[in-house]
Amino acid sequence: MDQLNHLMEGFAGALTLANLMWVLIGALLGTAVGVLPGLGSSMAVALLLPVTFSLDPTAAFIMFAGIYFGGMFGDSTAGILLNTPGASSAIATTFEGHKMAKSGQAARALATAAMGAFIGGLIATTLVVFFAPSLVKLATAFGPAEYFALAIFAFVAISSVVSESIIKGLSALAIGLVLALIGVDGISGTVRYTSGLPQLFDGLSIVVITVGLLALGEVLHVASRVHRDPSAMRIPTSGRIRLSGADFRKALPAWLRGTAFGLPFGVIPAGGAEIPTFLAYGTEKRLAAKRKDPEFGTTGSINGVAAPEAAGNATAGMAMGALLALGLPVSATAALMIAAFQQYGMQPGPLLFERSGDMVWTLLASLFVGLVMLLIINMQFAGLWAKLLLVPRHYLYAGITVLSMLGVYAVSSSLIDLWFLLAIGLLGFMMRRYHFPVAPVLIAVILGPLAETSLRRALTVSEGSLAYLVSSPATIIMYLLLTAAVVLTMVKHAASRRRLRAEAQVLQDS
Amino acid sequence: MSTTQSTSTSADTVRITGFFSGRSELVVTALLLVLATALSIGTATMNVMGDTVPGPQFFPTIVCVLLYALAVAHGISVLRTRRFPQGADSSNPDFSAEMLAEMGDTERAEVFGSSSERPRRTGRVRMYSDWKTIGWIVGGIAAFILMLPVLGWIISAAGLFWVICKAFGSARPLFDLGVSFTVSSISYLAFGVGLGLSLPAGFLGGLL
Repeated sequence: MDQLNHLMEGFAGALTLANLMWVLIGALLGTAVGVLPGLGSSMAVALLLPVTFSLDPTAAFIMFAGIYFGGMFGDSTAGILLNTPGASSAIATTFEGHKMAKSGQAARALATAAMGAFIGGLIATTLVVFFAPSLVKLATAFGPAEYFALAIFAFVAISSVVSESIIKGLSALAIGLVLALIGVDGISGTVRYTSGLPQLFDGLSIVVITVGLLALGEVLHVASRVHRDPSAMRIPTSGRIRLSGADFRKALPAWLRGTAFGLPFGVIPAGGAEIPTFLAYGTEKRLAAKRKDPEFGTTGSINGVAAPEAAGNATAGMAMGALLALGLPVSATAALMIAAFQQYGMQPGPLLFERSGDMVWTLLASLFVGLVMLLIINMQFAGLWAKLLLVPRHYLYAGITVLSMLGVYAVSSSLIDLWFLLAIGLLGFMMRRYHFPVAPVLIAVILGPLAETSLRRALTVSEGSLAYLVSSPATIIMYLLLTAAVVLTMVKHAASRRRLRAEAQVLQDS
Repeated sequence: MSTTQSTSTSADTVRITGFFSGRSELVVTALLLVLATALSIGTATMNVMGDTVPGPQFFPTIVCVLLYALAVAHGISVLRTRRFPQGADSSNPDFSAEMLAEMGDTERAEVFGSSSERPRRTGRVRMYSDWKTIGWIVGGIAAFILMLPVLGWIISAAGLFWVICKAFGSARPLFDLGVSFTVSSISYLAFGVGLGLSLPAGFLGGLL
């Protein structure tokens, strides 16, 4: 077993005192940002991404692994206690979790969620270890036409199939593509769209775009409504949390079912964990109805917390595999991780395992270490984490703003990047205000250059013949799947729009 | 003051007074058009190097066509329906609520929660977005960027933190001042001194 040897070497690299400390710091920071009300795991990654750049790559990625999973663990806490899930991947957990909290079982819900996240993450990471080399082998067989198809698949799936509106999704995608075009063209060396600013020759920094859209855009969006909307009520919890043997036996099948839903979505670019968590929740709901479970939907059933949480982390774990082996981001958060690799001059994909094998295996080993640490810190100190929900909103958002400025300035030490950050932040606010999805922008910024170079290479190889783009079975399958998904989405959207229009009630007093 | 407080709900008041009522989203259409135009000018005037085929103008041209098409489609959809946002809205446009509801076997409204409030036609009209708060924050950030090289990280970051606390409605300005300086000093020590990020010391640098 080649992989086991590699993994053992990885553990040897990960289990040094310094690296354990980076995992722990990452896990603590990730959980903290995930728990804070209104912030999710993508915010955790975006805010903490620039700060890690002063570390050496291995330490930075180890810390990142902690942040990545920590955010996922933390997301559900705010959902269960406040009914305000930090990220939409925690919504499905919130349905039953908050009902449990309201009926005095907050600690049980938190424990089920933490254990579910652990099991989902553990199974997914184990699978990544064993299947990443096969994925790499698959990816090395990919030519420019296949890579272009993969990029198009990710573009259309995230901007049109899963999002609320096709026009808005595609507009967001196009905005992202424009941002990605700025800078020197890699193939010909032509300077493009820099309006003469030498600072833009390397392109608009990915850190500026992610921090601006995800962090500053969110601050401005919350600010635009902070004096108008009421704030949520908190349900108190305290002390340590534990699961009884009976709870464990009841939840185990749900954890496994959830994991099974989560795993495939780690390699399909469908925006991340939202779809599998909802599928897992729906399955538990139907099963509960069949079994006539009286808790489900009333006082809250632990199965309804267990399955979505396991699904969410299983997706996150598998997404790590797709990211390392294929260089394919399946969600906005995964796109941020790719940005981190690019910042160090590394391109995730098949070559990464050859060129930086040591680092990849150390990273995979630290995912396991991180999961164990997260389980401990979430089970033992759940009450303490819940205290973070008491941080007043004004300190929270002031802190986010200052941290955004710090991160962007630290990366480039240039004031002009801060002005770009403010501009992108305003763009992020405008997109939130008018319900434009943000994920397509990030996917376009990360995959845009790949799409362009693979398209141009493919057309150079084929001397301009477009038929080359659909010449292999892999490309044909991808385009067919995509077309089917888009047609189905358009039919569904049209039906729901007709229904909404029929029941629309515009003004309260007319 | 008292009249607005008597309507304790946060329901927004709207009146159709002109062409742009409920159509402010045309701002986005305009942005798409500006981007498309800038991109086409940039592509047409590009100083192409090398003779690769397809060249550096090939992909931008596709994006350009896409942008113009989307701007038209978006403009039409905004013109067809006036939209008035209502109350708090926690929906996430990254995902179709309809799709998630179907997968989760729940009601559409449950996925992101829905506001029971509808905009009303009576009462004081105010903008959906609180531009005063946004203005404070954007102004604070702009002042921060201008002041950073002069005052250094500790003072300017503390100032930014304080302004944002104030904008978000904190009622304890003096206490906030203490928190601001604590945050900015700790971040300077942790990241500037500890991790070696280059944060400007400003005029304090000469004193320390």
